[in-house]
Amino acid sequence: MHHAHIDKFAYQDSVIHRLDSRVKFIAVLIFTAVVISLPRTSLSIPVCYAIGPFAILVLGRVPLRFVFRKILLVSPFVLVLALSCPLYDRTPLTVAFGPFIWRGTVGWMRCFTILGKFVVTMLALIGLVSTTRFNDLLAGLQKLGVPKLLVIQLGFLYRYIFVLIDRAHHILQARAGRKLRSLGFKRELRTASAMVGSLFIRSIDTAEHINIAMQGRGFDGRWRSISKLRIRRADLLFALAAVFFILGLYVFIRPVLQ
Amino acid sequence: MHMANELLSVPVAAGTLAIAAGALGFICRRVRQVIATEKLALMGILGAFVFAAQMVNFQIPAMPGTSGHMVGAVLLAIILGPHLGTVVISSVVIIQCLIFQDGGLLALGCNIINMGLVPCYLGYFLYKLVMTGQFSSLKSYIGAMLACVLALEAGAILVPIQAALSGVLAVPFSTFLITMIGVHFLVGFIEGLITVTVLAYLQQVRPDVVIDCLPGKVRLSRGAVLITLAIFAVIAGAGLSLLASDFPDGLEWSYAERPDQPDFDSIVSNEDPRVAAVDDFQSKYTLLPDYSGRASKLGQIAVDEVDLSAGWTSFAGVVGSAITMVAIWLAAWILRKRQPSKA
Repeated sequence: MHHAHIDKFAYQDSVIHRLDSRVKFIAVLIFTAVVISLPRTSLSIPVCYAIGPFAILVLGRVPLRFVFRKILLVSPFVLVLALSCPLYDRTPLTVAFGPFIWRGTVGWMRCFTILGKFVVTMLALIGLVSTTRFNDLLAGLQKLGVPKLLVIQLGFLYRYIFVLIDRAHHILQARAGRKLRSLGFKRELRTASAMVGSLFIRSIDTAEHINIAMQGRGFDGRWRSISKLRIRRADLLFALAAVFFILGLYVFIRPVLQ
Repeated sequence: MHMANELLSVPVAAGTLAIAAGALGFICRRVRQVIATEKLALMGILGAFVFAAQMVNFQIPAMPGTSGHMVGAVLLAIILGPHLGTVVISSVVIIQCLIFQDGGLLALGCNIINMGLVPCYLGYFLYKLVMTGQFSSLKSYIGAMLACVLALEAGAILVPIQAALSGVLAVPFSTFLITMIGVHFLVGFIEGLITVTVLAYLQQVRPDVVIDCLPGKVRLSRGAVLITLAIFAVIAGAGLSLLASDFPDGLEWSYAERPDQPDFDSIVSNEDPRVAAVDDFQSKYTLLPDYSGRASKLGQIAVDEVDLSAGWTSFAGVVGSAITMVAIWLAAWILRKRQPSKA
């Protein structure tokens, strides 16, 4: 397993990929905040807001099937809570949607709104992450004032996640090859904890080796990145477009209804 | 228990983000003064270890089909000390958000507090409380068990508090709270079992690691612990008291009628001028109301009373958005078709 398995689309090249990571990060943060603060009585506004992340994903050439599979994968917690809304709020209401009239309850409306907003903000987050290399994102975060220690920590973590997950896979495979039936809770637990324990010790040893290798190459605790961050004209254009989109939709929709 | 953006309101998200960022910044500065460059790699790799350890699952006997795995916050706090443990677990949470999209960007503050700050500090404090005096393995096991159950529980209790303060969910606070406490008691118990057995294993193989000899550990003074706990208690108390008062947003359900129980006495009736004002404000503020006017009494809402004109605007909005998306997709598709022939 390799990095590319998880964020392979970040290593493509497109108009969106070439944008500065700081601009993208701030745009997604503001977008998320605006979408969350939208009134929870309406499902159609989040749908309108979905245009933005959708455009980013399409321009960044991220396959939509991959995106939706990812959203589905992380949704259980939200899904459970959203689906419990209809159980508690049974105030009846009538929803008019163009030619259709739907009679339901406030709870269902809330449930759909929560899920709609969830999908839209997830689209934005996936749009950011799968069009930005993680190293660029880290360099951008450091420029934005995230503590250096945390940036280094995140960098190491990202680099070695897949090494250790690979190792865990090996251990799991060894267990599967030797354990042919259920062993009962006590021995299952003992086996699992021995696996975790040996993984832990090997992690400490690996860290020692890496540290020696890095000292040999002159590591002095500073995080250096070859990615150059520069705000170009394209970035300004993107920022302008994002502001225009977010604010424009807000201002445009408001007077129509009052 | 990864919070999602949608379960939070912007003030709560911003507040928790500020608290988490402040605490992390402070901890990072403290740790940077003490820790040597050699330990940077160790911290990073232990973060990756948490991910790998979460893959090691095992069957739980009572519930066939489910499998347990560890979270690791308390184990790291015990072995690395609370400061380093918090930094490591917070970085794990950030990576889970950015790479695996587990938990939202704005909910990051909540997630760092619930899964990093609170379990690490509380778990370490409880472990140390049990471990006063001479080291014995039995004491360390009891301490680890207690720390796991209570620390995870404390983090889990914060989830419904944050959700209730935001007021997005319709689920009653008490139901949500009881569910979270129940589920996380089980989670904490299993976490405790694994942590204890892992500690036992490590003690056999590498005793130096367990009896706090791992270099680079930052100790916590008793005063600092007490101050942290006091601040935490004040914040939690403030949150709970806000919930108890009639916070207009967070306690919306307290004044809503309950159609399933006709004789349910609503705490604040809808005739209350304050509630009417809030409703009025909401309907004015609402950008694109899919439904207009709260149904004030069960069954009193007639179809012709509903403002149907609003429905057409939102219909137009949704259809327009769909057309725009299709147009974007087509344009990108055509451009992409053209590109390889040029190159």
